[in-house]
Amino acid sequence: MSVAQLAGGRSPQAITRVARKDWLFRSALVVFGLVALAALAGPWIAPYDPAELYTGDVNGIGSLAHPFGTDDVGRDILSRVLAGARTSVIAPIAVVVLSTVLGSALAIAAAWFGGVLRGAIARIVDVIFAIPGLVLAVLAVAMFGKGVLAPVIALSIAYVPVVARLTQTAASRELGKPYIAALRVQGVSGPAICFRHLVPALIPVIAAQVAVGFGYAMLDLAAISFLGLGEQPPAADWGSMIAGGQAGILAGAPEQALYPALFVVVTVLSVSVIGARITTWAEEKER
Amino acid sequence: MTAPVLELDGLSIATPDRTLVHDCTLTISAGEAVGLVGESGSGKTLSVRAVAGLLPGHFTTGGTIRVLGQDISATPPAVLRDLRARRVGMIFQTPRAHLNPLRTIGDFLTEAQVAVDGVSPEAATRRAQELLDEVGITDAARRLKQFPAELSGGLLQRVMIAATLAMDPEILLADEITTALDVTTQEEVMALIGDLRRERQLSLLFITHDLALAGAVCDRVAVMQQGRTVETLNAATMRRDAREEYTRVLMSAALGDGTTASLQPAGDSPEPEPELEPEPELKLHAAAELAAPILSVAGLRKTFQVRSASGGGRETFVAVEDVAFELAPGGCLGIVGESGSGKSTTARIICGLERADAGSVMVGGDDWSRPARGGAARRVRAKTVQMVFQDPYQSLDRRQTVRQCLTEAIRVHQKRAPQAVVDARIGELAGQARLDTALLDVRPRALSGGQRQRVAIARALAAEPEILVLDEAVSALDVTTQVEILTLLDAIRRETGVALLMITHDLTVIRRLCDGVVVMRSGRVEEAGPTSELLDAPRAEYTRLLLDSIPREGWIPRRRRLGRTSAIPTMTGPIAATASTDARFESKGRS
Amino acid sequence: MNSLLIRTLVGRLGGLLLTLFLASVVIYAALLLTPGDPIAALAGGAKPTPELIVQIRAEYHLDDPIWSRYLQWLGGVFSGDFGRSFVYKTDVLNLVAPRFGVTLQLVLLTVAIILIAGVGSGILAATRGPRVDRAVGLLTALGMALPTFVVAILLIWIFAKTLGWFPVYGEGSGGWDRLWHLTLPACSLAVLFIAYISRVTRSSLVAQLHSEHVETARVRGIPRGRIFRVHVFRNAAPQILAISGTTVAGLFAAAAIAEQAFGLGGIGSLLTEAAARKDLPVVQLVSLLLVTIFVVLNAVADIVSALIDPDSINAGRAA
Repeated sequence: MSVAQLAGGRSPQAITRVARKDWLFRSALVVFGLVALAALAGPWIAPYDPAELYTGDVNGIGSLAHPFGTDDVGRDILSRVLAGARTSVIAPIAVVVLSTVLGSALAIAAAWFGGVLRGAIARIVDVIFAIPGLVLAVLAVAMFGKGVLAPVIALSIAYVPVVARLTQTAASRELGKPYIAALRVQGVSGPAICFRHLVPALIPVIAAQVAVGFGYAMLDLAAISFLGLGEQPPAADWGSMIAGGQAGILAGAPEQALYPALFVVVTVLSVSVIGARITTWAEEKER
Repeated sequence: MTAPVLELDGLSIATPDRTLVHDCTLTISAGEAVGLVGESGSGKTLSVRAVAGLLPGHFTTGGTIRVLGQDISATPPAVLRDLRARRVGMIFQTPRAHLNPLRTIGDFLTEAQVAVDGVSPEAATRRAQELLDEVGITDAARRLKQFPAELSGGLLQRVMIAATLAMDPEILLADEITTALDVTTQEEVMALIGDLRRERQLSLLFITHDLALAGAVCDRVAVMQQGRTVETLNAATMRRDAREEYTRVLMSAALGDGTTASLQPAGDSPEPEPELEPEPELKLHAAAELAAPILSVAGLRKTFQVRSASGGGRETFVAVEDVAFELAPGGCLGIVGESGSGKSTTARIICGLERADAGSVMVGGDDWSRPARGGAARRVRAKTVQMVFQDPYQSLDRRQTVRQCLTEAIRVHQKRAPQAVVDARIGELAGQARLDTALLDVRPRALSGGQRQRVAIARALAAEPEILVLDEAVSALDVTTQVEILTLLDAIRRETGVALLMITHDLTVIRRLCDGVVVMRSGRVEEAGPTSELLDAPRAEYTRLLLDSIPREGWIPRRRRLGRTSAIPTMTGPIAATASTDARFESKGRS
Repeated sequence: MNSLLIRTLVGRLGGLLLTLFLASVVIYAALLLTPGDPIAALAGGAKPTPELIVQIRAEYHLDDPIWSRYLQWLGGVFSGDFGRSFVYKTDVLNLVAPRFGVTLQLVLLTVAIILIAGVGSGILAATRGPRVDRAVGLLTALGMALPTFVVAILLIWIFAKTLGWFPVYGEGSGGWDRLWHLTLPACSLAVLFIAYISRVTRSSLVAQLHSEHVETARVRGIPRGRIFRVHVFRNAAPQILAISGTTVAGLFAAAAIAEQAFGLGGIGSLLTEAAARKDLPVVQLVSLLLVTIFVVLNAVADIVSALIDPDSINAGRAA
């Protein structure tokens, strides 16, 4: 049985069980589902081409034709928010997947093999931890140029320490339990203990980190775009739209900054509700 | 008879979901000691917490609690707080958790005097020194400056007692206060409690799972079962007076063979298993005695590197030193010792979980002192030696059903066996462990402690081992369950011919099951020999001390000093170090 | 101070220096890993003239082996020679020094806001009953989803544009004017961290409130106020402090966002600009500065919480 099967076979069940008695969690799932839909199908459901200039008034307020209004060069804000969803949602997913895989692998290796390897991994993790994520991302931009790719890689590395430390604590605790010793005495092979018992035991802990990490990654990547180092014009994600809309606020047309900001906040909120439930679930599993 | 100092009348305790205590009724007169005895979940701890005002906010109580004549439901909170603070003292099972780790012993002892009684700090400190003297802690001035982490569990329990004495209480509530302690330390603490009761006319409510202990130190004993006090007996005559079925079951478990060599549990176990009636005379297998030993250990030594207690650096801690013994095929050998004796380390070396520094572990002619290399070698060893652990819940993977767990154990040796063969074998193992087959598709969380341990035993038997190592395998279980599991083990030994190596701190377990016994202390073998010989006529002073420390009828706990090893760091596993030893042992206790 | 404590401190200091050294290697290596012609990168993207190429080769010792170049750079950092910015054509130190003051003031103001609001609301949540707890919990959940740049545009919209109470742009001219200019940036930077510190404070206080030693104190009739001060808050303090330390350390980097939003000339906005223009000497120095601050502050928080918590050292011994 593979790790994926075990994870896929259990966590959704548990999630739906919790979902049935929790409207907040359910609405968070719906909201995140809608955002994910926008990320997948944004360009097709957008009423206008997001880059098309002067589709209506300049700095127009909300109307039937332009529900979110138009920006300083007459682009439709709704269309731009929908188009920006793709980068805004997929880039954090990439960060979370990369950092989780890397961090968990390091953590499990450290806990399993111990000794010198554990020391070396701890040192690597310490050094990465010493460089704040934002600094690492800016450094990467300075090296590879502006765009989404450099920050995604930098943040994937920057998040490794958090994932690795939490997972390693959980893994070491699990390995210290007598059932692992019992499996050894039974003659079960090392890889079987690791992949059939240890890794599945860690799935709840890792799942909780994925949800929490997604929120942080989304905020950090939006911040980098806000600083002008991420997605470059004419393409836009929510962070760069907020930065671009700052002038609009002073001009009395706050919509082009507020709508993408609203989307960032609502998405992060929905993910944090989902993350909190997964964390509770993980703690219940631990008991 | 004076007026009662504590009266519980029809006390009930409930959460919004369910009622946990239905009817707890007992009375304590001035100067009297009453034991409240029950197994886990009986509601004894909740009842005493209700008296102390320590129930969580969402708990509700019914019935009456009268403390020193005051009905607590009719007493204003401020008066009640003062009453409890000054006239009722409480001590707990885990003193380490109940002391603030960031405050010194001196802070702890003086705090209530200064904050509640308004005594000056200097006077409070003087009084704290006197109190430490009174509870038998020497070098009081130095102790006052130490932090809880620097003291052993036994010393901390004395500090807790001293702290309650600071307020001159009239009632002492003691909740499982010796459960986490070694048996010799238990005797010292109980001797102290006895002295204090005599000197101060203290009344005592003594909560314990150990009927023998309660009977020995209390005037009367109330037995609690599933939230009800089923009967209250005079301690001196309880063996004769007991009317309730449950009391007699408890009594046979606790006292049945405390001092006599009787193997026969006097009563019936709650789940009668007639085919398992143990036979008193099966103790010595003459044939087994003659055969070559299946396991023979000699010159075993194991050290751990621990951080030094006195400062930086590392020091070598000798966990096992020059240990030697033999186990006959189909025999049953017990290794008995207190925490830090090295008994568990010895067991882990035999099972290949630790590597010995020196010495030999010969199993059927092969040297096993080093862990096996390679899958095939590991499987060969697995077919010879299996192990059952102390905590049955933690020793099962909580994500596996019983069937998955057993399947995995079977498939280690029969990788490609058809499913039907595996299923048949699972049925067989469940039968051997007397495990209801309806439980096969359940996960460990849904099982009781005894059922979990049956699963662990079935799993160990899957490999058809020649030796079964049981590391404190019954010490986390309720007494009635202990009897069931021990009876089961004895039956399994007779049915399969497996040799048993019992690691335990409990001499009654040894007496019940083992042909031979090895007494260990601080990593060394103190004495070894046939059980009856050794326990009836011990040669080593330490063995005598262990035997004397066992609570029994007519037992009078005494304070004594046998150069006990407070200076030697004691540890039972590779990661435990000086400060955490007691914490490790404390986790063993029940609540 | 016992020898164990001193050993622990020395050990942490050693770890700190090693970490800093390795981090500086990483930062320096960034230059070498930059794809394309290092000279073009060092020239800040401009088309290099032959004279510039010679100048860069000499300044960066591009013909020396890598380790020697690293040591020269590190030696320069220690002797106050931080290199030259090719974009601004001036010593990096001249660029960084005045801007550091702005960032430092911004961070200090933010820390004050975070500690008062975060620890305060955490205490309220832990002690004032379930209703307050739930209210604070909701607010912090919202706060954790409000990034600095979103709060910044909201504050600009409400307090600067609509109400006109605060300036929109720049760091002002020192004294009260500086404080007035830094208020909105500090608030925008604080919100996320207030929520975080509030939650940490609440959970460590609740853990202590439910601990068995607090139960003992209650049985002994110790007054509630004293229990909270001596047994609950005092025991929770090391954890709150350690996490606050990490938070504050991270603020120096996070300040970049507030500086950008409010047009403040701090080191964060300098770093952003330098990165955008590939001004590597500036990026390296500011990164090294931020990393040093982060590591040192973390270590300080660690050591202080160890000093007030002898148990953490005992725990270290048991591990």
